[in-house]
Order: sequence, then C-alpha cells, then structure tokens
Amino acid sequence: MYRARLERDFKSWIDKGLLQENTARAMLAEYDGRESTFRAGRVLLILAALLLSASILLLVAANWDALPRLARVAGIVALIWGFHFAAAWLVRNGRAAFAAAALVLGAAAFGGGIALVGQMYHLSGDAADAALLWFAGACVSALGFRSAAMATVAGGLAWFYFGTVLTEDGFSMVSDWRSWSVPALAVIVVLLVRFTEAGRTRHLAYLLFLSWLAWLYIDSPSLAFAGGLAAFGLVGFLAVTLPGSPLRPLALDAGSAPAFYSFSLALLGFTALQYEAVGLTTEVVTGACTLLVALLGIGLAGAQNGAVRYLGYVAFAGELLYLAFETLGSMLGTSGFFLISGLVVACIAWLVIRIEGHMARTRQTGASQ
Amino acid sequence: MSAVASKTRWLNPLLAALLVAGAQTAALGYMIEGRASILRNGRDVLLKTVPVDPRDLLRGDYVILSYDISRIAPELFKGDVPAEAEEAQLYVRLEKQLDGFWTATEASFQPLPAAGDSVVLRSLPFSYYPSSPPTSVNVAYGIERFYVPEGEGRTLEEARNAQALSVNIRVDGSGKAQIREIAVNGSPVYEEPLY
Repeated sequence: MYRARLERDFKSWIDKGLLQENTARAMLAEYDGRESTFRAGRVLLILAALLLSASILLLVAANWDALPRLARVAGIVALIWGFHFAAAWLVRNGRAAFAAAALVLGAAAFGGGIALVGQMYHLSGDAADAALLWFAGACVSALGFRSAAMATVAGGLAWFYFGTVLTEDGFSMVSDWRSWSVPALAVIVVLLVRFTEAGRTRHLAYLLFLSWLAWLYIDSPSLAFAGGLAAFGLVGFLAVTLPGSPLRPLALDAGSAPAFYSFSLALLGFTALQYEAVGLTTEVVTGACTLLVALLGIGLAGAQNGAVRYLGYVAFAGELLYLAFETLGSMLGTSGFFLISGLVVACIAWLVIRIEGHMARTRQTGASQ
Repeated sequence: MSAVASKTRWLNPLLAALLVAGAQTAALGYMIEGRASILRNGRDVLLKTVPVDPRDLLRGDYVILSYDISRIAPELFKGDVPAEAEEAQLYVRLEKQLDGFWTATEASFQPLPAAGDSVVLRSLPFSYYPSSPPTSVNVAYGIERFYVPEGEGRTLEEARNAQALSVNIRVDGSGKAQIREIAVNGSPVYEEPLY
C-alpha cells in the first residue's frame, strides 16, 4: 500500500524534475531493505505455520482413540520440544522467519497439550484458566526467544482469553479478579511488544483495553462511568493533539496511536452517554456534543492522522443517523435538525477550507525562502 | 539500520528452547498429575445423572452430564448464607444411599468437616444472588462434561436421556472431583485410566 504510493509519488516527482531518479531508486531500495517491510514469503510461512497449528489442535479435538492416550501426551510433548529446539537451531543459523514459524507451531502444540489434558480428565468449567495458561506459555516463549511473532501470538491469545471469559462465565457473571485480569494481560502484551519490538502488535493490546472498558460499561452502566470515559478520552485527545500542548511532540513522535486511541475512548464515552440520555432534549444535546467531538477530532488530528479522520467520519455519520431515528417522531423536527446541522457543518467546512488554504500558503512561502 | 536488526539476543536460543519447552512440559505434567492423583487416591462416589451433540473447539465432542446433586435444595443449607450477591463456593456433603448412589445431605458456604463415611464435594466458584425465601442453587463441580471420540456421543446421550447412565467419580481431600467411570445400566462403558 504505502510502497505503491511511494513509488507513484516518486515517479511524478521525477517527471516534474523535483527528484533525481537515482536518489528515488536508492530511497526505495532502503525501504525494501527494512526488516518490517511486507515480504510475501515470510507472510506465507506464518500462514503455513497457522494452518499446521490448526491441524495439531483439531487432531487433539478429534479424540482419535486409535492412538492410546499416553502416546498422544508423549506426541504432543515431543512436538513442544521439537519445535522449540528447531527454533533455537534456526535462530543460531540466522533464519529468523523459519524460527518464528517454528515458535508459532510450538505454541500451538502447547495449546493442544492443554486441550488434551482437559479432554483426558473430562474437565469442565475451566476453559478460561486453560486459555490463561496457554497465554502464559506463549509469553514465556516470546520472552525467552525475544520473538516478535510470539508477542503477536500472545496478543491474539489475550483476545482469546477475553472471549473465553465472556462466553464461559456468562457476560455479566465474571468475577472481579477475572475482569481485572483482562487489562493486566493487555499491559503484559504491551511490555512484550516493547521488549520484542513487535511494533504493530501493540494495537491488539490497546483494542483489548478499549473493548474491556466497553464491556465494563455494558455490564454495569452508570452515568458517572460514561462521563468518566468521555472526559478521560477527551482530555487525553486534547493533550496529544492541541497545538501548544507539551505532550503533542511526544505523541506525534509515537505515531498515530495516541491520538487515535484517546479519540476512540472519547467516542466510546459519548456513545455511553448517549445511551444514558433520557428524554428528547438531553438526547439531542448529547447527540450534538458527540457530533462536535467527531468534528473536533477531524479538525485537530484529521489532517495528519487518517485513522482519526475515518473514525471521525464514521462517528459523525452514525450519530446523525441515530439522531434521525430517535427524533423520527416528528419528521418536521428531524428536517429542522438536519437543516441546522447542514448549515453548521457548511460553516465549519468553509472555515476549515480557509484555514487549510492559509496554512498551505504559509508553508509555501516558508519553502520558497 | 532498522529497528529489528539492532535487537540483541539476550538468551542463548538453545537455553531459551530448554526453558520454554521445559516450562510448558512442566505445566502439562502438573495438570496431568493433579488429576491423576485424584483418580489414584480419591474416595469413590457413585452418582446418578438426570435427563445435540455439543462440541468444544479445542477438546472435541462431549456429552453434557447433569446430576441430582447439581441442584441443591434450600433445606440442605447449614450455617451462614451470604447476605449480598457475591462469588461463592458451595461445600456439599454426600452420603451413600441404600441403592448404592450417593446424594447430597448437607450444603454450606463454609468448608464442611469430615464426618463418618460421608464425602465433601466442593463446587466451582459461582455468582450467588440471595433471595428470600431461599431458592434452590444450581452448582457445577467441574465434572459436567465427558469427552468422547468424534461421533460416539450419541449412544451415551440416549442412555443419559433414558436415565440409565451412572457416573463413578473420585473425590480428593480438598473436595475436587474427577470422573472415573461411566456406566450404562450398571455396566461400565468408559473406564478412565490414570494417565
């Protein structure tokens, strides 16, 4: 995606004489040489490892009685040892991609082993504990081998754990320590990501944390909680995006994540507030605030941050639709609301266009000097 | 140059493999021995079961088992009952009846002392909501599933629905239960080995 866009832009700059052709070629070569760049072979290798993992897990689930139980246990333990030592050998020979695949398979074998013991002894009601143990095994592997792939597997297993907790214990029957274990897992995944430099995997942890907050709210809704989410999100978002804020340079340095997740949190809070609102006036006022927050997000961070921009658009459109349905009691009222919002948005659009034009002009004069 | 290339190994990969595989094997071994020790040393208890083919994604096909003792009548409660909704565990005293089956004679939210020939079974943690007057409580003991080879669940389910299924469990000193044998009309169908 980014590579194709880069190449296209380079081509147009070369055509305009802004960029030397050999410079552009050198820049692309540098980009292609980066470790994190998409490589079809590497991705296919991990996909193959995932398919083989599924086959191990399903072989256990089939409970095939032609193979004695003890042989199955021995087989799975042998797989665990085999895959991890194969990974060690591959790492020593500098074949990092194959090592990552072997580690993924090793983690799958461990998960298969946990399932096998549960099957052997007919355990029930322990699925969440089993998922937690599997996660712990993946963490040990990610730590021991300092493997980014295993950090990603751990992130996926943290999600699996959250899903298991919700389905096993029932949506609202989750005990306190279990509920708090979910953000703890998210923190562990973030630490693993930092240690293994797994980069993008951190989003799994951030999204897990946000989903956990959403679940907490749905489980025990209250006005204070909804307001807290909205306030925290909004303050965080303003702190990382408002020009002049001391946190802004730090956040910009960290990429688009701080602005996006604080914005998501704010929108989550406003969605909850919308749910709390009773009566037409409060509903419309809350809705108008949500629309303003969506516009604020687009205005403050939309230019540099595509994720915030699209989330802002989606929230804006969703909120408008919601308000339309809620106020549908009188079509005239809805029409009036849309009329006013249309005019307001048009005014904002005019303002934004003026500001953007002004900024572009100052940048141009700055560049020509 | 790139971030990943600067990443240093902090453990010898062979040592890491030994550590990871060893820890994972130890975890599996601990799980197995924890269960096998109940089968080896636990007290024998025979339970009667009461009247799809469910499938666990990871553990395969299983038959759902429900017991007389899964539903505890309020008359059985001894001692303090939680006044507010909380996560609780129920201790259930089982005693052998004349027909060979065991049934619940006493239940408590506090540990029950050993007495005579009875066995104390501990439920899995559950959310308890008090009500007045007290109502029956449904509890699980971690023995509600019996995993079978793919496609073999049907016969057991039919026997269960005809109330011809009995389950022999073993219970250890802490009240943890483990299925040992499943019988249809008194004759064993599945006898569980230690390992």
